[in-house]
Amino acid sequence: MSNDKDQSSFSKYGLYTVNENLELTLPETMIKFERIGENAFSYFRQDSEGKIIEKMIPATSNELKIELAPIRPLNHPARRTGYVFLKFDKEIYLSQSSAASIFVHCPIEIGIFLIRDTKRESLDWVTCNPTNSRFGLYGSPDTGTLCKYAEVSLATDFSDSIPYVEGVMKIIVENNLNSGQTVSKVIFPITDNSLYYDDSKSVLDGIKVTLKKRAVVSVADVQTDVVSTDWTKSPTWEASTSNTTMEMGLE
Amino acid sequence: MSPIEFLQGLSEMEIIGGLTVLSLLLGGIIMAAGIIVAKITKILFFKYYAPTLPQDTAKNFGKIIYFGIIAISFFIFSSSQGFDFSGLLVAGGIFAVVIGFATQSVVSNLISGIFLMIEKPAKHGDTIQIPDMGISGSLLDIGTFSSRIRKFDGTVIRIPNEKFFTSNIRSLTASTVRRAEAMVGIAYKDDIENAISVIKNEIKLSMPFVLRIPEPEFRVEELGDSSVNIQVLVWHPRDDWSQAQPILLTVIKRALDKSGIEIPFPQRVVWDAKD
Repeated sequence: MSNDKDQSSFSKYGLYTVNENLELTLPETMIKFERIGENAFSYFRQDSEGKIIEKMIPATSNELKIELAPIRPLNHPARRTGYVFLKFDKEIYLSQSSAASIFVHCPIEIGIFLIRDTKRESLDWVTCNPTNSRFGLYGSPDTGTLCKYAEVSLATDFSDSIPYVEGVMKIIVENNLNSGQTVSKVIFPITDNSLYYDDSKSVLDGIKVTLKKRAVVSVADVQTDVVSTDWTKSPTWEASTSNTTMEMGLE
Repeated sequence: MSPIEFLQGLSEMEIIGGLTVLSLLLGGIIMAAGIIVAKITKILFFKYYAPTLPQDTAKNFGKIIYFGIIAISFFIFSSSQGFDFSGLLVAGGIFAVVIGFATQSVVSNLISGIFLMIEKPAKHGDTIQIPDMGISGSLLDIGTFSSRIRKFDGTVIRIPNEKFFTSNIRSLTASTVRRAEAMVGIAYKDDIENAISVIKNEIKLSMPFVLRIPEPEFRVEELGDSSVNIQVLVWHPRDDWSQAQPILLTVIKRALDKSGIEIPFPQRVVWDAKD
């Protein structure tokens, strides 16, 4: 993790226009755009693991508009699931018929989007904390749910986001059972949660966890709770689909 | 000559046993129409219904529809001509016994294929292993008489359904996650807890596809002749075997090398009686 002084030298989230060259710096990650022709640009990215990605981008105009924004933590090391498993570093105890509202740090990734007219197209993504981007299983090996796993700490409020690495998420836990309960983890599909950014900080839509009785079984019902904020909403990375068909042979 | 007179002429031209040129022509038209209807139905089935079905099932349903319509066309043709097949029954019965003996493996494969389609031990695209035959690969399809598997070396192997049905089939993609295993021996002088700790840290750091939950497991499997043997078990997403099993030993060795923990060669201490 870099300190505050270092973080001030990193590129902020937001919109950028590439006329000739543009260099974006993120923690242990370097991104470069360069003009290589009248309507063509090159893209270069080297991440914290030393992996290099190079692309050529034919442009429809003389300049290229891009957006750097936080995205859901689902792509590193490979996209395998839409679920997230957050393990709290401290368990939360809830008395019977009570509710609590907490803020937690939730890992994020960073998306690089091309702007064409009003549309955002997914160009690339990076993670600034690859060693903590891992999978976990909720349930048994044969029927369980594969999730992105993260051990998370409590945050003080929405401004407590760790730039480029973790956003802040509000979790409302409601215990409707007639006994005290301890909550140590939460598993939910994060694909319904949007992200919002300001400068280099980010927040995510929250979740509402309701502990209740269904027939004779105690269950935790998890619903998305849209956050009310004036921060800029991130484009959705997953909306774009990759083309899997291939037609070759013309020479 | 008018067309009616022409058709009348054809109906009077007998070929054999009451079979006229006209009836043969009519039969040809019925069969041709049947084949065209069968083909159109098959195309429509594959366009509108097959995408909602598993690939194997769609393929086999397509065949049943196609040959079913042709068979119905043949029965329409034969009944329109008043063919009497009762004479064939006795001869057919004897013939069927002869054919039955000659084609029992074919029938066995067909029946096994039907049972495989009902039981569905694996579906198209599943990675499976047939330990009895030493075959591993991706299941391409379960056909009427045989099944095809694309092996990991890129070749395709055809297995008769009878053998496939009676073999043990291990599905490698039925579960959400899979486990990779490795065995490593450390010297008796080294601390077991320390060795486990350094291996665990290296796996955590350099194997992104290894699951954090369930955690990697370590078992002291054996106090061997030359080393303390530790079994390392890690879980990974089912499709990422290549990111776990083939590199697990490399990561373990690197962790032990970094910490100066010895992986001993097989050794034997020989005591001289005079000593």
